[in-house]
Amino acid sequence: MRIIIVHLLALLFISNAYSETTLRWWQFWTDPAVKPTIESMVKEFEQANPDIKVELTDLTWANGHEKIVLAFSSGTAPDIVELGSDWIAQFADNEQLADISDDIIKDSSQFQGWGMATYKGKIYGFPWILGTRVIFCNRDLLTKAGYDTTFLPVTIAEFKKSALEIQKLGDDIYGWGSNTAERHRLYKKFLPFFWSAGAQLFTDDGKYCVISSTMGVEGLRLYHDLHKYAGYVANQRGIEDAFLDGKIGYIMSGDWLLKRIKLENRKINLVSTLVPGPKYPGWSFLGGEFLCISASSPNKEAAMKFIRFMTSPENQIRFCKANYSANPSSLKAQEDPFFTSNEHFQTFISQIKLSKHPPVIPEWVYIEDIIEEAVEESLFKTDLVAEPLRIARQKIQKIIDEKK
Amino acid sequence: MKHARYSILLPALPWILTFGLFWLFPLLFSLIAGFTDYSLLARNGFHWVGWDNYRELLQDEYFHSAVKNTLIFVFGTVPITTVLALFLALLVNKQFKGRGLFRAGYFLPSITSMVVIALIFTNLYQRGGYIALLASMLGFTPPEYGFLYNSNTALYGIMAMDIWMSVGYYMLIMLAGLKSIPDELYEAADIEGASPVKQLFSITLPLLRPVMLFIIVINSIKSFQVFVEIFVMTKGKFDTASMVYFIYDVGLTTAFRFGYASAAAYVLFIIIMIFSIMQFLLLRKRQPVW
Repeated sequence: MRIIIVHLLALLFISNAYSETTLRWWQFWTDPAVKPTIESMVKEFEQANPDIKVELTDLTWANGHEKIVLAFSSGTAPDIVELGSDWIAQFADNEQLADISDDIIKDSSQFQGWGMATYKGKIYGFPWILGTRVIFCNRDLLTKAGYDTTFLPVTIAEFKKSALEIQKLGDDIYGWGSNTAERHRLYKKFLPFFWSAGAQLFTDDGKYCVISSTMGVEGLRLYHDLHKYAGYVANQRGIEDAFLDGKIGYIMSGDWLLKRIKLENRKINLVSTLVPGPKYPGWSFLGGEFLCISASSPNKEAAMKFIRFMTSPENQIRFCKANYSANPSSLKAQEDPFFTSNEHFQTFISQIKLSKHPPVIPEWVYIEDIIEEAVEESLFKTDLVAEPLRIARQKIQKIIDEKK
Repeated sequence: MKHARYSILLPALPWILTFGLFWLFPLLFSLIAGFTDYSLLARNGFHWVGWDNYRELLQDEYFHSAVKNTLIFVFGTVPITTVLALFLALLVNKQFKGRGLFRAGYFLPSITSMVVIALIFTNLYQRGGYIALLASMLGFTPPEYGFLYNSNTALYGIMAMDIWMSVGYYMLIMLAGLKSIPDELYEAADIEGASPVKQLFSITLPLLRPVMLFIIVINSIKSFQVFVEIFVMTKGKFDTASMVYFIYDVGLTTAFRFGYASAAAYVLFIIIMIFSIMQFLLLRKRQPVW
C-alpha cells in the first residue's frame, strides 16, 4: 500500500512538473495555401516552448465575428483571438480585451498599425497583417485609349479623364469598377477619394463631424462621376472578375487580387499605382488583422509570448509568402526581397505609409453605415452630392453628441 | 398511482426537455431581454430599461422601413401565390399527357435550397442578365445597374422570386384539397347545367376554403419571417430590409443589441398573431357545413 502511495505521489509530482498551459487561439486563415504554414508555426512554437500547447480553431469571415461575440458573451472566449481592425473598439469598450500597452513598448517602432488598436490611449491588439487598397490599371486599355506606355494617373483630374477615355472605347468596356452597396466595403472605397480630396470626417478634437465640407463634397463628386460616367457596377468579386476579363480600365483593390491572378494564372497587362490626389499621391484606407488577448484569459503571459512569435519578422515573411500578402506589419519584414523584388508589393508598401484608418470608437459601426447610406443615396438614388453628405453629417453629429 | 402518472411522462421526457430548453426558455428569455439593455458584447451584465426599447422602436426609421418592407412583401406575395397555386392546381388536376412532369416541375423549386435559388436569381437580375434582356425585348427599360441595385425594383424582384419558389408547394396542398372534393357534386352540377365557372365559384372555392385558410395563414407567417433571400441577395440594401433582417442586424451584427432585437422580435410576434387571428376570422365566417 505504501509503495502505491509513493508511486502516486511521484506521478503527481511529475505531472505537475510538466504541467502544460493550453492556449486557445481563434483565427481566420483556413485557405489550404496558408493553413499548413500556420500549423507548422504553431508546432515550432510548441517545440520551443514545451510547457505551452496551442489549440487552434478556425473561423470563417461569414460568421466569425458572431462566433467571437457569442464566445465573449458566454464567457468562453479563447485566450488569443484574431480581430479585424474595425472590431477592436467595440470589444475594448466592453472591457473584453486585455490592455497590452506595457508589453509592447519596445516593439512599437518596429511595427506599423498601432493606431488601429489604440482605444482611449491603451493598446489592445498586436498588428499582424495590414491591408490597404491601391489602384490597379489595365495597361492594354490605357494604350488603346491613346495613352503612352509610361502613363500613370498622378492627379485626380488625370485619373478621371483617363477613366472616361477608356469608357469611350466601346461596348462592354468600362473606365472604373464601382462597388455596389456592399456593406462594410463601400465606405472603404469611398474614403480614399474623400481623404485624397483633402476632407476629413471630424474636426481634430473629434467633437464635430465635418463630412459635408467643400472638400468632402468634392471627394464624393469625383466618386459619383466615376460611377455614373465610367462605372461597371457590381460587388467586389464581380468587379475583379470583369477587370481580369479585360473589361475595366481601373479598379481599387487589395493584395488579394495579386494572389488571385497568380493562382488562376491570369494574363493581364497589370499596373499598380498609388491612389491619386490633388497633389500626388492621395490617401488610401488602412485596415488589418490583429492578435488580441482576451481580458479573462488566465494565460496572458504565454499568450503574449505566442503573439510575439507569430508576429516576428521571420514568421510574417513566411506567412506573406504562403498567402501572397503584401503588407506585413513588421518594418523589418517589409525589407525582405520577397517584397522589394515585386513592383506591385512595393506599391502596397508605399501606399500603406499614405493610408488612414477610421477613428477607433465603438460608434464607428453606426457611422460607417451612415457614410455608406450617403454614398448609396448619391450613386443609386438621387444623383445629388452635397445633400446626402449634409444629412450624413447631421446623423453622425447626433451620435457624437449622444456619446458626449 | 403517483408512480404510474410519472411513468406516463417518461416517454415524453426527451421532447419536454427539448421543448423547454430550445423553445420555452428562449421565448421567455427574449421576452425579458426585450425590457433590458442586454448586449452580447457587454461584460457587465444588463439592466432593466422598462419600455425604452419599444419606445425607441417607435422612433427608429430603420425599423419603420423594415415594417413597411415586410408588409409589402406579405401583401404582395401571399395573394399572388395563393391565386397562382390555385390556378396551377386546377390546371394539373385535369387529365392530360405529361401531367406528372408538370406537377414535379412546379414543385421542384420548393425543394431546392433557398440560398442556391437566391444566388441564381441574383445573377439573373444583374445588369445585362437574362431578366434585363427579357425586359428590353418586351420594350421595358431595365434599371441601369440591375434589378437588385435599385430601390424601386429590388424588393419586388425578391418577391417575384419568392412567389416562383413557393407556388409549387402550395399548388400541391391545393391539389390535395381538390382531390378531397367529391366528384358527385360536379356530376350533379353538370346535370343541372352549371357552367365550369359557376362550378368553380359554387363548389370548388367554397369547399377549398379550409385549405386556402391554411395556405394563407402558413404563407403569411412564412412571409412575415422573410430573411434568407434578403440576406443573400441584398443584405437589406435598397429598401429591402425586412423585420427579421432588422432583428438579425441589430442583434447579431452591428451593435449586438440583443435586448433591442428581442423587443423587435416580440413586435413581429404580435403583428403575426394579429394577422393570423384576422385571417381566421375572415375566412372561417362562411365555412360550409358538411
